[in-house]
Amino acid sequence: MQSARLQSGHYGNVAYLTSPVHVSAAWSMSDSNTPDALLAERVANRDQFALEALFEQYGGAVKAVALRVLRNEALADDVVQDTFVGFWNAPEKYDAGRGSLRTFLLTIAHRRAVDIVRSEVARARREEKPPDPDHYDVADEVWTRNLAEQVRNALDELAEGEREAISLAYFSGLSYVEVAKRLGEPEGTVKSRIRSGMKKLAASLSGATA
Amino acid sequence: MTNHNLLHELLPLYALDSLEGDELHAVRSHLHSCDTCLRELARYSAVTSKLVPDEPAPTHGWERIASAIGNGADIPLGRASEVIDLEEGRPRASRAVTLLTAMAAVAALVFAGIALAQRSLLNDLTGDSAVIAAAEQAASSPGAYVGDFLVDGSSIAQVVLTEDGHGFVVPTEDLEPLMPQRTYQLWVITSDEQVISGGVLGNEPRASTFTWTGDVSGFALTREVAGGVVISEGDVVAVATEA
Ligand SMILES: [Zn+2]
Repeated sequence: MQSARLQSGHYGNVAYLTSPVHVSAAWSMSDSNTPDALLAERVANRDQFALEALFEQYGGAVKAVALRVLRNEALADDVVQDTFVGFWNAPEKYDAGRGSLRTFLLTIAHRRAVDIVRSEVARARREEKPPDPDHYDVADEVWTRNLAEQVRNALDELAEGEREAISLAYFSGLSYVEVAKRLGEPEGTVKSRIRSGMKKLAASLSGATA
Repeated sequence: MTNHNLLHELLPLYALDSLEGDELHAVRSHLHSCDTCLRELARYSAVTSKLVPDEPAPTHGWERIASAIGNGADIPLGRASEVIDLEEGRPRASRAVTLLTAMAAVAALVFAGIALAQRSLLNDLTGDSAVIAAAEQAASSPGAYVGDFLVDGSSIAQVVLTEDGHGFVVPTEDLEPLMPQRTYQLWVITSDEQVISGGVLGNEPRASTFTWTGDVSGFALTREVAGGVVISEGDVVAVATEA
């Protein structure tokens, strides 16, 4: 049985090598129905092209979230690599019933970036040399402009305190306890702002395509 | 409040990775056993992923991933397939002629016999066991080409090509890793001495596959800049010809 699987993986590569057109046709199916499960299955069958297609599609977003949290190109590149190599090594961790592959990959990447940011070394370095806030205000505006209109509108509907707490937590990789410290607010307040903000976002964005 | 009710309220914070310590561990272990919370978490995770805009994939990011998952030759090879006619798997004449000129050094080495290949069994191989198993099978198929890339008398890699065009490169332990900015690249030398890219093997090559349906007189291995080149600019490491 093992050699039969090998063969299919091998032919997968051959198909890619001799006929990239054919493979991109397979990828475009992902825009319609349940291609995520199909792609994950192809990755499980050691089809590197499926992984490359995923990288082409989502690598930019994965890098963006890692860079936003880490504010360091080299570390962000490491996260991108860890995310896709991790998926290659354990594609069975993706459950198509629980969300899109995009969400899955971004979740992994964000968690990894947060782990790095919270590591003692990084923490010490940040305290030594905190990121320049002015520079990132500009970058953040560009970021927001690139979001889908529906998402921008949903963010606009949040109270300022909710938006601020969510954004510090997610984009700076801070725990809600750290967010509270940063804002000089009680932990309970920050916790409930994040919670109510996220509930509003989930309500207005459910049904929106990722 | 039950454990579920308490932890359910923490899911929006969990989805943002903003929990730490006991709360983080409590949610994580509860998620192993609560479908309701898993479904709810999926909603919040979908929200967080919408806070990230789509952007073009980072340049050169894929090469790094391909080489990290090993067997990375296959993907850049597809890119290099500009040099291979997609319909017939044959080199385009004009490109092949350019390659011929540029690769005169390789051809010269072939005929100078700096590294002679010999037919051998696939011994002492390293790398992806799955690809190696397929390569071994291919090597024993009727009419298969089997050759070695020899340096100072020992094989740094073996090459197999079946009659129907399925190729394998399997490094031995003697193939030295290159710096990350460099890559090994495989070249096919046709019987009329055209030299065509067979694929990029990465800086620490593992067992890799390629495809070639034209005729073959031998193969060459060169060192190039990472990502590979259409026309070799690097130095020739070894050539293989069938014994
Ligand atoms: Zn629960």
